[in-house]
Amino acid sequence: MSLKSLLKPELVLAKQDIVSKKRVLENIASAVSDRMHCENEAVYEALLGREKLGSTGIGNGIAIPHCRLESANRTAIVVMSLQSPIDFDSIDKRAVDLIFALIVPPQECDQHLSTLAKIAELAQSPESLEKLRAAQTDNELFDIFDSLI
Amino acid sequence: MLLISILASSFTVRFGLPLLLVFLGIGMLAGEDGLGRLGFDNPNLAFFVGNLALAVILLDGGMQTKASTFRVALWPSLSLATFGVILTAAAVGGFAAWLLDVKLIYGLLLGATVGSTDAAAVFSLLRNSGVKLNERVGGTLEIESGANDPMAILLVVMLTGVLQSSDSLSVWLFLGQMVQQFAIGGGLGLLGGKLLLLVLRRVPLIEGLYALLIISFGLAVFSGVNLIGGSGFLAVYLVGLTVGNGRIKHEESISQVMDGLAWLSQAGMFLLLGLLVTPSNLLTHGLQALAIATFLIFVARPLAVMLCLLPFGFRWSERFYISWVGLRGAVPIVLALYPVIAGLSNAALLFEITFTVVLISLLLQGSTVPVVARWLKVSVPPAPAPTTRFSLIENDAHHSLELYEFLVQTEGIRIPVSIVQNVPSVTVSTPQLVSLVREQRPIVVNAETVLKLGDRIWMLLHPDDVNDVAQIFSQQASSSFLLQNFFGEFAIRGDASLVDLAKAYGVPLEGLSTDDTASDLLQRKLGKHLVVGDRVRFGNIRLTIRQMHGDQIEIIGLKLQDKQV
Repeated sequence: MSLKSLLKPELVLAKQDIVSKKRVLENIASAVSDRMHCENEAVYEALLGREKLGSTGIGNGIAIPHCRLESANRTAIVVMSLQSPIDFDSIDKRAVDLIFALIVPPQECDQHLSTLAKIAELAQSPESLEKLRAAQTDNELFDIFDSLI
Repeated sequence: MLLISILASSFTVRFGLPLLLVFLGIGMLAGEDGLGRLGFDNPNLAFFVGNLALAVILLDGGMQTKASTFRVALWPSLSLATFGVILTAAAVGGFAAWLLDVKLIYGLLLGATVGSTDAAAVFSLLRNSGVKLNERVGGTLEIESGANDPMAILLVVMLTGVLQSSDSLSVWLFLGQMVQQFAIGGGLGLLGGKLLLLVLRRVPLIEGLYALLIISFGLAVFSGVNLIGGSGFLAVYLVGLTVGNGRIKHEESISQVMDGLAWLSQAGMFLLLGLLVTPSNLLTHGLQALAIATFLIFVARPLAVMLCLLPFGFRWSERFYISWVGLRGAVPIVLALYPVIAGLSNAALLFEITFTVVLISLLLQGSTVPVVARWLKVSVPPAPAPTTRFSLIENDAHHSLELYEFLVQTEGIRIPVSIVQNVPSVTVSTPQLVSLVREQRPIVVNAETVLKLGDRIWMLLHPDDVNDVAQIFSQQASSSFLLQNFFGEFAIRGDASLVDLAKAYGVPLEGLSTDDTASDLLQRKLGKHLVVGDRVRFGNIRLTIRQMHGDQIEIIGLKLQDKQV
């Protein structure tokens, strides 16, 4: 299953006005749970659990929150950009304004890791990040992300 | 001649040749067989200059050795510096006696002469080669090279003495001498270091005089300890070590002057040694010397390293690397002058062979230091660091106020609002911005100021925070790709729960206890004294230590889908 086929327009959210890491995770959880028919609370707890091991802010203003979720029936990717950067406790201490979240069902673990690695690779290209940051609407952000993967 | 050598040194970086070889080469070129036709044949002068230069080099080397590396490197390097030298000397000695068909004792003398690794060569190569070795390997090599000269010198002096007086070799006498040399050298070295530190802190001097004070004090300790039968080399190294690790004023300017003087000593010494040798004579025993060098590099040194490091938890690749960086340098050449001065019968032969062995070692091992490090995977990505550092308070109890300069290596970031808004406080618990300099002019900073490449930022910081802050201003794109390759995409805390980690990445839970942390896993598999760059596999992910504080693992890199599965 390719990254492209996992990407859904309704889970691409541009220029969100969110001011804290906690609120970002909550927003991701509610967006995903609507689509995947699972508990809002469970998604949030799973994402938060992973953050407790260490922040998923990988540097350069990017965060990739991710988790395995028992109740998920399929993989979901959330792409989100923020209006203004927020503190994410990142490894390089820089504020975060681009977020790619990945929620996977427990049985697709290897799949999960390769998808995560692909997203992390994407975050290495300054040009791609610049394009993503420039997107003002959900549709724009979707098209740009879609063209990059 | 010194001028030519220094100018020529800028080319060596391109060829990856050790700088010292250039100085040696130019000395030889200027000598009786070369272009310069300078006839220099005064082993006594060369010996004197060589000893002084070695003392200065060891002093500077000691000052640059961070006491924090003792945590992982002290005992292994001491083992190498004592037993390692004896083993190498014995192995090479036996081989050389057989090959050259001389008495065993002459062979042993040769073995002892080339028995120690060279501090000057190791320090300058490790620091200028562009690779950053992991702390365990780098620390071991540096401390070893600083601490093994006394051993080799002792062996040579004793063997020369035995040959001179034709007494029989007494093991007990030798051991007694050794203990005496180490005890006096070690004791007075540490004591001298403390005393010097006290003087540096109490006595106000013109800034430029501090380094000269350190040098003259070091040389005084060196000759004083030698006079009363201790190891002056060990003493002067310890003086440097004590002073370099005790916070002192003007550290920056002192270490610059010291570095310059150390270079001058190395360059002068190698030039002089190059002049002293008659290159055409080297060819007479060229083949034998080649055989001995080969034996030293590929048999004796690896054997000694493997045996000496047996009790310590080194990886095999680390052991091989330490074997490979057994660089010989000026010490053996200076040591080879002992028999010459003592007027022993085979002295010329020993000197010529030693000289060739050093040349081969510098050429072969010296030029491959970075390549082999990458190949054996013992290097780690360089950590971001400030460009300048000043201690504002150098009292030990309150050494928390330091001024740092950072070079901005990235575009488009801002100084975090929290830092801009900080006002000076007594505790310096939070970083304080002092100045932002752009194109030689100070800039007014607010939360909206966007940093540019090449900006210089001055900050008051607590030393514990300096790595975090340096990270903010470090280069991003190209270096972070390397970082991601080395440490992995994500990072976790050292105290992260192992069970939770296993659950998040689908690692089987068998055999995991609920209160295990990620650090526990690393320590269980790799031992207690870990360094940045140590790694283990955990299911299908790879964990690499990314940041440490003393023996505590703070951050662990996590790489998904290790390709080596």
